[in-house]
Amino acid sequence: MTLRIASRFALRELRGGLRGFRVFLACLALGVAAIAAVGTVRAGIEAGLTRDGAALLGGDAEVEFTYRFARDEELAFLNSIADRISETVDFRSMAVVDRDGTTERGLTQIRAVDDTYPLVGAVQLDPVMPLADALADQGGVMERVLADRLGLVPGDSFRLGEATFTLRAILERYPDNASAGFGLGPRTIVLTDALAGSGLIVEGTLFSTQYRLDLPEGADLAALEQQAEDQFRDAGLRWRDSRRGAGGAEQFVDRIGAFLILVGLSGLAVGGVGVSAAVRAYLAGKTSVIATLKTLGATRSTIFLTYFIQIGVLTLAGVTLGLILGAGLPVLLAPLIEARLPVPAVFTIYTAPLAEAAVYGVLAALIFTLWPLAKTEDIRAATLFRDAFAASRALPRATYLVVIAGLVALLVGAAVWFSGTVFLTLWTAGGITGSLLILILAAALIRWVARKSRLAARGNTALRMALGSIGARGGESTSVVLSLGLGLTVLAAVGQIDGNLRTAFADDLPAVAPSYFFVDIQPDQIAGFRDRLDQDEAVSRYDTAPMLRGIITQINGRPATEVAEGHWVVRGDRGVTYADAQPAGTEITAGAWWPAGYDGPPQISFAAEEAAEIGLQLGDTMTVNILGRDITGEVTSFRNVSWEDAGIGFVLAMNQSALQGAPHSWISTVYATPEAEAAILRDLATAYPNITAIRVRDAIDQVIALVGGLSAATRYGALITLVTGFLVLIGAAAAGERTRTYEAAVLKTLGASRRSILASFALRSALLGLAAGVVALGAGILGGWAVATFIMDTGYTVIWGNALLIIGGGIMASLLAGLAFALRPLAAKPARVLRARE
Amino acid sequence: MTDPVLTITDANLSLDGNAGRVDILHDISLTVRQGETLGLVGPSGSGKSSLLMLMGGLEQATSGRIMALGQDLTAMNEDQLARFRRDHMGVVFQSFHLIPTMTALENVATPLELAGVRDAFARAEAELRAVGLGDRINHYPSQMSGGEQQRVALARASAPRPRILLADEPTGNLDATNGAAIIDLLFDLRDRHGATLIMVTHASELAARCDRVVHLCDGRIDTLAKAAE
Repeated sequence: MTLRIASRFALRELRGGLRGFRVFLACLALGVAAIAAVGTVRAGIEAGLTRDGAALLGGDAEVEFTYRFARDEELAFLNSIADRISETVDFRSMAVVDRDGTTERGLTQIRAVDDTYPLVGAVQLDPVMPLADALADQGGVMERVLADRLGLVPGDSFRLGEATFTLRAILERYPDNASAGFGLGPRTIVLTDALAGSGLIVEGTLFSTQYRLDLPEGADLAALEQQAEDQFRDAGLRWRDSRRGAGGAEQFVDRIGAFLILVGLSGLAVGGVGVSAAVRAYLAGKTSVIATLKTLGATRSTIFLTYFIQIGVLTLAGVTLGLILGAGLPVLLAPLIEARLPVPAVFTIYTAPLAEAAVYGVLAALIFTLWPLAKTEDIRAATLFRDAFAASRALPRATYLVVIAGLVALLVGAAVWFSGTVFLTLWTAGGITGSLLILILAAALIRWVARKSRLAARGNTALRMALGSIGARGGESTSVVLSLGLGLTVLAAVGQIDGNLRTAFADDLPAVAPSYFFVDIQPDQIAGFRDRLDQDEAVSRYDTAPMLRGIITQINGRPATEVAEGHWVVRGDRGVTYADAQPAGTEITAGAWWPAGYDGPPQISFAAEEAAEIGLQLGDTMTVNILGRDITGEVTSFRNVSWEDAGIGFVLAMNQSALQGAPHSWISTVYATPEAEAAILRDLATAYPNITAIRVRDAIDQVIALVGGLSAATRYGALITLVTGFLVLIGAAAAGERTRTYEAAVLKTLGASRRSILASFALRSALLGLAAGVVALGAGILGGWAVATFIMDTGYTVIWGNALLIIGGGIMASLLAGLAFALRPLAAKPARVLRARE
Repeated sequence: MTDPVLTITDANLSLDGNAGRVDILHDISLTVRQGETLGLVGPSGSGKSSLLMLMGGLEQATSGRIMALGQDLTAMNEDQLARFRRDHMGVVFQSFHLIPTMTALENVATPLELAGVRDAFARAEAELRAVGLGDRINHYPSQMSGGEQQRVALARASAPRPRILLADEPTGNLDATNGAAIIDLLFDLRDRHGATLIMVTHASELAARCDRVVHLCDGRIDTLAKAAE
């Protein structure tokens, strides 16, 4: 009964049109559209990766081993399940070119293949030719960027290790390239057999082998994966198949998508401020209607439902508009987006991301409108007779507060569920809620300060009027500080985090990082390698360490992945080292290093921080599988390992006698001035053609580029937040236009010039923008510091350039919105305005 | 003598405003009988409208008791008061207070709809015809003159056949001609439906048409003025 009547009343009320709800609809639609668009792009990429899974993987399934080739029993298993197998070897090396007495070197990622490569898809070469022809007779192909760097054209020769090859063609495209986005060297493809005399693929060097499988039609991938892992997991076998052919790329897209959606949620929160302000303004205009309905006998629930239904209809309209935009834009812009993506994508309408955006939109609208709607209960019928005593409670009834809290919990729960990351979601939700609370308090403080400062501003009419307007009850101050402040807070936080990351990588890290990492130094080369460095005066310091790769399979006899709950140290293979006496500079935090010359049962020294994270105790046993052999040792010490200076750091070290017999190579870090780097590389690479040098500066540049890309994506997301904030500003300015018109009319009557009135309007906008900017900067710095300190574990410095931009941006945005709605009040004729008001 | 429909005993009204507490009505005791027409008169700020609000349950007395049709209004919550008004009272305002998004017909039908009357719209239409607005039923308030709007308000107040009609300066916003027509209509409705009419007015000729007049001054019933009368 109540619902039916309320629906009827609501529909009648809606006849009044959407005036006053444009900002409501725009804020909601924009927030939902941003989330839906990010979700649709993510779903499109995931669909593309799934569709092209086999091509991205290079087969229906792939089995990978680190450091070794498949053993007979493993090959037998693979042959039993696959129709065809292709073996590839992947490793880094240096491509070397001798020309006119000089030598050019370039780091390259080599894929050594057999004659069945590629099982799926095709390699595209320039000039066009079959891959088999290009690789025959010591032929090779490489990506254009490397060929250009080395000055090579097809027909020229280059060396890999001690083997010489002829470049036959430029590698334009190859199928198994899902992780091409991040790699330290451009790709070179040669035949594995052709590397026989190169000295590159020997026991102990860092390489991995992949066995791509062409499976029978209809093969059960999940069952085969289970079978392979059950038999060979502890031997270091890793299985991937076309269900997730892009592997890391898929996970990366998933993560970045989830993160951007969370950034989008902050846009929705800003939009919520606009939505709330629009509803409050609408209901303020409906006070006499509500009081009349109460006089005629309408109960509180009838009134609440009448307006709840109206807002509900508008919410559905806003969400629908947002979904249409969010789903339509990526599809419309598909050719543009696809051209910029390094991975395949299929753009169409996906229901899941739209449902996610709709859930967020509806929940946000409910959270932000329920408060003003609940306040309709406070409107008394007596309001029709007198306004002076229409004071109401500050908070809605407890029931509504509980419902609002429940809806917030539901929204956070939904975000956790959709994003799949509890930690990141809670941080984002905490950040948004904390920022909103800070901004609400700041808005109250700003109004209080403005009211108190009015006395001091006597004599300066424009300033006094501006302060009076900022401090007024029911003015636009709170909306402006909240919307603009939250938008700027997100931008400030992103700017501070990005700036600190850049400082850490671009300035701080190179100051302490080595010039080069050398890998694949053979045990018989290490003595000579050290001698050369000792004699080189340009080398200020170098470190060397033996390196093996192993998988931690068990802790205290239980599967390590269970004990350590998926911690990174037990995921996949890790670098492992050995030492006899305690190396200089090693800082033991608990236990004791084994005595020099120790050759008893294996002992382990583990990184202290990681040990604490996985709950490792002294005396625990740990089993490490190295090249298929299980070695179990006792944890006898913990030591500090610093990852920040890019030096040599191993999570796990064993006593020398435990690992010495296993095939391994050495790695080395070399510290020198940038000017001396080229000569050191020339000397070492000439003496030891098989070793690979990685210039740390290049790696840092790669990381900076990746961080830059992530920052740009995040900034686009944050920009949506700012655009929504600007919409809210426009809404607030538009809502205040009538008041400003009246104010201007009265002031003109009293003799104020248009210039002084405009100055007052501009001043209030600028002051509010400044206040919002300062508060946002404070909140952004707090957020940046928290992320730097608690998540990235780095130092923090305020990025002042970004800070000034934020404050300047705040003032400009507020000025623009305020002045756009100051022109009509200034132009209005006082007589007409004042007569209409009577 | 007919039964009392409204009895006010020692009622006081104070309100808290931004400027502090304001005492509005003091020790009001008053009985209004079935079918009676009572005029509330007095200077501006004397508390006439506030007393009318107490009678309609639109304002809660700070102390004292207000019984209407045998029920204690001071013991009711806001929703109970709303239902009581819906079932037994009609209110006419000086500023009409029609709902701008509703047509004349919908405005009049609203209290009937709230009361769950099945043929609300048919009855509302009949009521509008009775006040001479049969040709304006689909017009919105903004499309009607002040006199027409007040007629709609009268039709809305009388449509549920209330036993008590409350009118707060019903001619205050109208010119003399329209004002006289509205008053005729108001008394006509009272006569036809036998309701008790309580009216706040400044107009002495209107007060003269009432069965009884209560004078208020500074929030108290002015017994001297009553005696002089």
